[in-house]
Amino acid sequence: MLGELLRILAAAIITWLLFVSVDIFFRLPEKGGVSGASAVARDIQAAGGDIAGGTMMGNIVSSPDASAGTLLAACGVYVAGIPGGLIAAALVFIGNRICHDPGYAGTTGAVLATFVVYGFTQVGFAATDFIAGMVIAILSIQGLSHLHASRLLARLWRVRQ
Amino acid sequence: MIAPYLVAVVAVFAALRAILEKNTGRKLPYANVMNFAIAASIVLLLNHPLSLVAAAAYFVGSTLEANAIASTYAGGGKQ
Amino acid sequence: MIPALEIMFGFIAIAGAVSAALIRDSYGKLISLGILVGGIVPFIVDRGYLDVAITVSLVAPIATIFVLMVVRRADA
Repeated sequence: MLGELLRILAAAIITWLLFVSVDIFFRLPEKGGVSGASAVARDIQAAGGDIAGGTMMGNIVSSPDASAGTLLAACGVYVAGIPGGLIAAALVFIGNRICHDPGYAGTTGAVLATFVVYGFTQVGFAATDFIAGMVIAILSIQGLSHLHASRLLARLWRVRQ
Repeated sequence: MIAPYLVAVVAVFAALRAILEKNTGRKLPYANVMNFAIAASIVLLLNHPLSLVAAAAYFVGSTLEANAIASTYAGGGKQ
Repeated sequence: MIPALEIMFGFIAIAGAVSAALIRDSYGKLISLGILVGGIVPFIVDRGYLDVAITVSLVAPIATIFVLMVVRRADA
């Protein structure tokens, strides 16, 4: 049981790095992809957070982004290996367009995650470790301290600029 | 396998924080975490290809809902 | 479903329902209804009714969107 817990934590770190870098690469902290994102960003800023970090968190709420892509890709690999992961990427792409989001962060995250998760399943991990790991990763950004998470994301965003 | 338990605990935690938070704009990220956890739970409960579609449908639906709430709260375009 | 998981998801559903009743803010109520649905969906999936789960997951947000249209008209 402890072994599984450690694998889940490792998977959480791996998925965290994956989705944060893909989202920042696609400039999610820059502006809202859809209108709801800026409302969330404003309220996070009102509580002392950073607006760029808040914008990225708002984008995560409003449209499937790399975090959603990673989660669904891990689910896809669990259910049907690499084809499952790629089908999940297609579903994320459709979901993006349904939410009026013209971006590719979600799809890219899903495709990358498919191969990352599958690769790790060949060296002792289980796909379920990545499913649970991704949930923990998103908890760390959206579910613990909006203040600290937005500031951390803002600092990473400044690196990209 | 402890993954389903971990994910369910995260869902409960996030749901409680969403309920207890007073500000709408800050409720939404907590609800978003709960939606991630529920989508993950769908696949962890039933290992079947259609579960993936159900998880994707639940996740996209909940995201669409959150975006609609946030847009209307922002004061304007629902679309 | 394992009893522990049943209790947790059931708790989410009940918490969503109770908070939907008690919270005064309209947006808060809608978010609470979303939490309620989130607590219910795992029970549907656990019984194997994936088609029902997919339908509920797509219809409930549409219902919320209609409610938002009414809320907006009420505010304006």
